[in-house]
Amino acid sequence: MNLYYFWEKRWFFIAMLVGSIMLQLPVPNGLTPEGMVVLTMSVMATILFITEPVPLPTVALLIIVGQVLLLGLQSTDVARSLMTDSVLFIMGSLMLAVAVVKQKLDKRIAWLIVRLTGTKTANVAFGITLVSGLLASFVGEHTVAAMMLPVGITLITLTSDNPKKVRNLAAVLLFSISYGCSIASIGTPSGGARNAIMIGYWNEFFFDPTSPETRKFLVDYLDWMLHAYPIFLMQIPFVTFILLKTFRPEYRDLSRAVVKLRHQVEETGPMKGADWMSILLFVLILYGWVFHSASLGMGTIAIMGAAGFLIVGLVRWEDMNSGVNWGVVLLYAAAISLGVQMKMTGAAAWVASSFLDILSGINAEDGVALWGAVSVLTTGVTNMMSNGAAVAVLGPIMLKLAVAAEESPLLIGFVTSISSSFAYLTVVGTPACTIVFASGYLKTTDFLKVGWKMVVMSTIVMLSVAAIYWPIVGI
Amino acid sequence: MKEDGPSPDRFRILVCIDGSDESYRGLKYAVKLGGGVDADIVMLYVRPIDQGLRSGGLQVRVARENMLDWGLELPGIQVLKKGWEMLREIEHFEDDWTTETVHTDVAGDPLGDNKIDYTNKLGRKVVLKLKVADDIATGILEQWEIGEYDLIILGAPEEKRGLARALIDPPIAEKVAMNASCSVLVARGLEVGHGHLICTDGTERSLEMVSKDAMLASRCNCAISLISVTADVEGEAEAKTYLNDARSVIEEFEVEIEDMLSPVGDPVEEIIEAGANYSVIVVSESSRSGMERLLVGSVAKRVLRKAHNSVLVVR
Repeated sequence: MNLYYFWEKRWFFIAMLVGSIMLQLPVPNGLTPEGMVVLTMSVMATILFITEPVPLPTVALLIIVGQVLLLGLQSTDVARSLMTDSVLFIMGSLMLAVAVVKQKLDKRIAWLIVRLTGTKTANVAFGITLVSGLLASFVGEHTVAAMMLPVGITLITLTSDNPKKVRNLAAVLLFSISYGCSIASIGTPSGGARNAIMIGYWNEFFFDPTSPETRKFLVDYLDWMLHAYPIFLMQIPFVTFILLKTFRPEYRDLSRAVVKLRHQVEETGPMKGADWMSILLFVLILYGWVFHSASLGMGTIAIMGAAGFLIVGLVRWEDMNSGVNWGVVLLYAAAISLGVQMKMTGAAAWVASSFLDILSGINAEDGVALWGAVSVLTTGVTNMMSNGAAVAVLGPIMLKLAVAAEESPLLIGFVTSISSSFAYLTVVGTPACTIVFASGYLKTTDFLKVGWKMVVMSTIVMLSVAAIYWPIVGI
Repeated sequence: MKEDGPSPDRFRILVCIDGSDESYRGLKYAVKLGGGVDADIVMLYVRPIDQGLRSGGLQVRVARENMLDWGLELPGIQVLKKGWEMLREIEHFEDDWTTETVHTDVAGDPLGDNKIDYTNKLGRKVVLKLKVADDIATGILEQWEIGEYDLIILGAPEEKRGLARALIDPPIAEKVAMNASCSVLVARGLEVGHGHLICTDGTERSLEMVSKDAMLASRCNCAISLISVTADVEGEAEAKTYLNDARSVIEEFEVEIEDMLSPVGDPVEEIIEAGANYSVIVVSESSRSGMERLLVGSVAKRVLRKAHNSVLVVR
């Protein structure tokens, strides 16, 4: 045992200290003792999520333990609260992600992109953003980032062997992939785990089977797309514009690389039976999500798809098992269960009303100003931790905030989960950013350099859509 | 462990290469310190471990395997190879090097650690090592545990970082410099040929350090200057005696002494100001240890943080 060990783990001890102090404090007005406990657990979990002194799944385990020990819940009840349709969906879509990446359709997609765009750098960057985005909006951002990363790097290495000579080009192409995936992940419920989490919260918090009024809180696949997809589409041209302006690639034309890439891709030959099969399977899954998710649940359809890939033999279980980080499933399960407790104990409502008091101090208690405040807060949190966890933790508070401020919970919910994709500033913010960072071509400062412009652009686009377009489609 | 070669009597330098110009300047300096012929050089590139928690649950290895399928190399290989080519060029290597490739599995990462050992007829070694670790500083410090080094050279961070971020996660160079058990040279615009500036405060520890650096300086034929800072004018005479003590230590190594400075003022600021004219500022890790060091922050640490050029922390 040396002091260095304690220093490395200092944030863990700080979190524990903050927790024990909070539990000793008198319970504030309007908050139940249980609410105080849940609030304490959320604060500790957030500290641990951000500083990572212990492996993240440990936090999930501690949340489960805390619910039994501190909150006095029955172990079986806690266990039951861990698995919901959203968690099932996260699990299923991760397995699907591995299955899809293993199909090696990336060369086909690369071929499609260079056929579409020609050889100009600007066009290639736009093509990558567009195609990555369109795919990611349905398949999930991590899947597409993993598939497209080799395409981007191949284009870069074929242009020049010397990484220094293609630094800006590399940044443009790789960010085209990751930001393309990020902006698209809000498009449909299957684009990212957080969308499914938000849908789960709406259902859990506001839907009452006895009141037909609350049916609008059962948001289905098409409903979501109707509200969010335009935001994704509007951002595409801005992404390419911002990237080209920020990094100014060294080569304006990539003919050499594109010709070689085309050659490489053509070697794979025509589409085979297995390729068609995997596309057919995915179309079926998509069909299920779009038309049957209301009755069957998005999670059921996702795991049905994963089972389908295994049955047909397109992917081996070993690949799925080693490709999915099961800790994430555990993490989301625990975070959602804590979120539900935030609501049950009234802690969420209490934080929401305190937050609203602060907001009314700066005249942001309703309308676009409130939406902006929600968006800015979410953006801040999501840049520091995984965006799914951000929505799981913030979701209940924001939804209660909507109730307290007499805004539509649907609108605030959309703003929260869409803003959670504005994690352009850091490597850890979104899955796609983490994956492209693994290429070794980018520096953490690159994310800051271009990320803030993206945040400003995305926030403006989202707020204008919220103010102008959403009222037309009925929020 | 004798993984990187059993040659305790040789001078061994670990150079951390990340592809930046600074890291290659560090490599050139290592060659100079190595005296050209007899030092073993280990070039290290640390790759953060491929982990899936941050990538939304899909393991980065899925992306990595996909990249390997396309025939793309791991990041770092190019960078290390460039370092090797540079070394060959500077030192006019003959082609008498035997090579050995070693792969070590690492829990949690499918590709693990990889290294290439180059050994020539005289038994001199150059090692290219591609290592994975949870974070870069830990990787560098762990590499220390595998083999004994006399010196670690790494580049200072180019980026300016916010205070909050620095508190949560101290810069790599600082973390290594404070926790390694051998001397660490943090390169920052490192230029050969302007000599070393050694800081001394008269303690036995600092004299020990003076002799260590004199040994290094004699290897590279670098000139040495001495500095001892006092808080007020009365201390000046005392500082002069410290300087003379140090001078007598250095003379044993037959190294040229350029200047002897004894400015008055805040140690950290005076050292940094005077140090700007030299290749390297040499400081010693203070005798404080453990928690105290972490909380108070030694002069060495503050010089390391604020200096505009390279700093060598001697142990």
